Amino acid sequence: MRLPHREGERIDRSRVVTFSFEGDRVEAFPGDTIGSALYAAGRRVFSRSFKYHRPRGLLCCSGACPNCMMAVDRRPNVRVCVEPVREGARVRAQNVLGSLDRDFLSVVDKVGGPFTPVGFYYRTMIRPRRLWPYYERFLRNVAGLGRLDQHARRSRRFDTEHRRAEVLVVGGGRAGVDAARAAARDGLQVVLVDEREVTPIEGVEVLTPARAIGVYEGGLVPVDAGDVLYRFRAERIVIAAGAIEQPLIFPGNDLVGVMLPEGVRRLVRDFSVKPGEAAMVVSADAAGLEVGEDLRAAGVEVAETIDLRDRQPRELFAHGRRGRVRSVVVDGRETVCDLLVMSGGRQPAYSLLAQAGARVEYDSSRGILVPRELPAGVEAVGTVAGELEPAAVPAESYGGDGRCFLCICEDVTEKDVKRAIAEGFDSIELAKRYTTVTMGPCQGRLCHVPSIRLFAREHETDAGSIGTTTARPPWAPVSLGVLAGRGHEPAKRTSIHHRHKELGATMMWTGMWRRPHSYGDPEGEARHVHEALGLIDVSTLGKLLVAGPDAAAFLEMLYPNRFADLKVGRIRYGVLQTDAGRIMDDGTIGRIGEDHFYVTTTSTGADTVIEWFEWWNAVWRMDVEIVNLTGALCAVNAAGPRARELLGRLTDVDVSNEGIRYLDAKEAHVAGVPCLILRIGFVGELGYELHFPSPYGEYLWDTLLERGADLDIRPFGLEPQRILRLEKMHILVGQDTDSESNVLAAGMPWIAKLDKDDFVGKWALEQVGERGFREQLVGFEMANGTVPLEGGQIVVDGRPGGRVTSARLSPHLGRTIGMAWVPPALAEEDTEIRIKVDGRLEPARIRLKPFFDPDGERLRS
Amino acid sequence: MSFLLPCPNCGPRDVNEFAYAGEVTQRPRAAPSQRELSAYVYFRRNVAGVQREWWYHRFGCELWFVAERDTRTNEVLGTELPPEKTPAATPVRSHEPTIPDAPVA
Amino acid sequence: MSDLGFLSPDRARAGVGFEPWFASPLARALAGQTAVRDLSGLGKIEVRGDVEAIDVDAEVVRITPRRALVLCDYERRADLVERLPGMAIDMTGALAGLELVGERATRRLTDLDLEALPAAGKVAEVPAIVLRDGDSFRIFFPQEYGHYLAEVVVDAAEGFR
Repeated sequence: MRLPHREGERIDRSRVVTFSFEGDRVEAFPGDTIGSALYAAGRRVFSRSFKYHRPRGLLCCSGACPNCMMAVDRRPNVRVCVEPVREGARVRAQNVLGSLDRDFLSVVDKVGGPFTPVGFYYRTMIRPRRLWPYYERFLRNVAGLGRLDQHARRSRRFDTEHRRAEVLVVGGGRAGVDAARAAARDGLQVVLVDEREVTPIEGVEVLTPARAIGVYEGGLVPVDAGDVLYRFRAERIVIAAGAIEQPLIFPGNDLVGVMLPEGVRRLVRDFSVKPGEAAMVVSADAAGLEVGEDLRAAGVEVAETIDLRDRQPRELFAHGRRGRVRSVVVDGRETVCDLLVMSGGRQPAYSLLAQAGARVEYDSSRGILVPRELPAGVEAVGTVAGELEPAAVPAESYGGDGRCFLCICEDVTEKDVKRAIAEGFDSIELAKRYTTVTMGPCQGRLCHVPSIRLFAREHETDAGSIGTTTARPPWAPVSLGVLAGRGHEPAKRTSIHHRHKELGATMMWTGMWRRPHSYGDPEGEARHVHEALGLIDVSTLGKLLVAGPDAAAFLEMLYPNRFADLKVGRIRYGVLQTDAGRIMDDGTIGRIGEDHFYVTTTSTGADTVIEWFEWWNAVWRMDVEIVNLTGALCAVNAAGPRARELLGRLTDVDVSNEGIRYLDAKEAHVAGVPCLILRIGFVGELGYELHFPSPYGEYLWDTLLERGADLDIRPFGLEPQRILRLEKMHILVGQDTDSESNVLAAGMPWIAKLDKDDFVGKWALEQVGERGFREQLVGFEMANGTVPLEGGQIVVDGRPGGRVTSARLSPHLGRTIGMAWVPPALAEEDTEIRIKVDGRLEPARIRLKPFFDPDGERLRS
Repeated sequence: MSFLLPCPNCGPRDVNEFAYAGEVTQRPRAAPSQRELSAYVYFRRNVAGVQREWWYHRFGCELWFVAERDTRTNEVLGTELPPEKTPAATPVRSHEPTIPDAPVA
Repeated sequence: MSDLGFLSPDRARAGVGFEPWFASPLARALAGQTAVRDLSGLGKIEVRGDVEAIDVDAEVVRITPRRALVLCDYERRADLVERLPGMAIDMTGALAGLELVGERATRRLTDLDLEALPAAGKVAEVPAIVLRDGDSFRIFFPQEYGHYLAEVVVDAAEGFR
């Protein structure tokens, strides 16, 4: 029933907002919540409890309890007591079979009670085990909190915004506003957040409705403002989160019509709704008793008031009919009423403070948990600090018949907790996990302190020694969407990227890079490189300039290879290893000047290699500069017997076999673009890797394809490149090697110049050399065309004999080739092995020399 | 993890701007025994207390530095940049780390 | 000895049957919108050496005492590379750049202190250098993230429509 206009109400009676509840039209005012509008329209049952399907009504009206959760526009678990009304909203009940007023599942409450105590599913639904999936499905349908509508489509934008504050005040009550005002007067930059509207404060930025969901290291306080998550870094955090009214524990304490004082305050003062006809007030503090004034002002008859500070009854219980309060009995005296306002005092909402590192202590004289020893930069003001007027300490429970609900979220009764303790769950953390008290939607707001008192009584000890459960974020429910924000996941693209897409390439991820897997015909593309001419974009390679008087000495120390004797204009293949002698990365090192080296790395290894180089120089302090040129330059590889002819058309320099020899590095203009030409042979054919400024990527790619058209140039992708390199038995770090592999076992002993004084990993390699190795990297050839998978098991004489690292069908060679790690005893040319493919053992032979052009004649042509 | 790490060049920044390389260690000065090498490569003191450790400002100035951090509270007590480079004229004996290690307990 | 000519986009030679042209990595992502401006064509030079000794008529962003980024018009690059002390490398092609107006939009991309710019830090999970001129922000970052970051920045600006 709506009361006439009252001073200070939050509703705007000049307009009407309409929404539907279970298909019926409901009228409300702007400023109403869905809950207040439904209550004004006469609804009293708002939900059915989690397990027993007991009818539940409004209790707190402030979003702390689970009693008003409904589905709004297909979003489940919306607390309608704080959800603003919206035109056209569709509200439905949840967790019912039938309706809120007649839920068929309430049979669980009437009949199932003895069979469904806490943890019953650990006992009654254990055997036969094969029936568990059916039990589980049954349980899921019968108990729960709302249902996710899998067919609902919703699109909403969430953003994350970084903010700073000299002072961040959480809570816009009296204490919070006072603290904010004082800080603003001191000239500080102050931000105040609250869940509800707050009147403007001079000099203070007020953010509402917004909720601080946690306090993290470094003064980080994420604030959920619905569509935006504000990540605040605050120098000073002031918590004015207030205190939460606590329920009393007595039989009938969960009936519809039993409310906390805040419920009455908000219904009457904010929404001008009459909460009931005849009320009874039982309170442990003055704040609860004062609500009698609100009741009388709303025309409610206050039949009886009990001040627990004066006297604590031995017995208190509420009688109900059809789940609604009818009368309350106190020590034998019955009072008829339809509304029981109860308060066990107020408990500081200390969670954010505990997250920040405050210690929480039980104050037995007041029966509340109080935060103490706040860390630097964190303050507590107002009721959250324990500044509360004296209150009675409520009894652990008020005797009488019937079930006393300790946790209304999870339907846990006093008896359940006693039984759990008797079964041996004697620490509060264990008992919490077994009974699920404090683990429901209220997250302990209404049940943590009462459960501690109950615990203490059962253990015959004082509540102060029980301890508390750990406070963790989020302090209040938060949507996954607002935590995700826009989801920034970087992707790297070469400057030739769009040409690949235009050519119809299938793109794939290599680390953060987008690369073409192939242009539709990987085998054909691979074969074409042997027969004519192919072009591949290798711009993803890491590229470093290592320059300075100590550049050569630096590389000598870092690599097992020798570089001091590398002539200007020449390239060498190098393998980088850790001090444990494990292979980290590989690439080419070209000397482009006396003190200038051009180092390439693998595509995914570039960042790691730079960090590695910079770290060693932080230790050695040599006179060398390391510059990351990965994005500065594009690189393409033109490979195949016709590569020289194409290059000759595009540049003035001598491209003959003497002009640019195999492993030469030469600077020249190619098609008018300044270029570093590296003649190397990863794919086993005559080829030139052109490194040039990345803004010219598309131009040079287009020009190469155009000018090479009559030479039948074809682009090729990563997959054909992998086939080609495998034909040459060129390793791919991370594919054919793992974190344990070293250059000796991987078949590259010439890399390690052990006569050098020192280099990273030298001693480890020496020790490997002395010890010998358990496995060796070799090639193999299948007898038939089957292709083993990576990791394929090698079997010899029925015993495990190694594993496959790479395998491909080579179209050019017409057979399946691969590489594998095998015990040294098997590492002989032609050894017969068997490889497990699809459960069968397929025959193969070990090969130690490259499958294609083992002497490298094509490369050097 | 969200503490603020004070980069000696850029000032306090979110720790996620940095890469971490663990305790400062002492590289063996001459050919080590297998035991010494294993200790250097694999063992760390892993103190519950103030630790000297390497950090790299990946998303910032790209400098390596050493921080002293209390591993129990993530409070950073101090940071130290490596000293300036030695000029080419005096060649470096490359096994000597220029930031001395904390004494081993 | 190499003068690292192969790094400089402006060393391209037209004529002799070739007309090299260069493209910005942000062009496609920024096409058709006005909220974000493409600065990729600006001259950018990385200087390694004593940053205090830099005395040129150009915008100098100090990253460390021995490293700076010099911004200038595209045409002046070659000249500046000659005149800068220490080691000067033309990074025009290495870094893409964009300009965004609005402090709130920028605060949705980075947690850098916007009162303490210019600074090197993280923008949308990418390493970047951010400069400020009133309410407009310039962001320079590795060009391989060009398309990604341009999309992210345009999206952030959209959030205020």
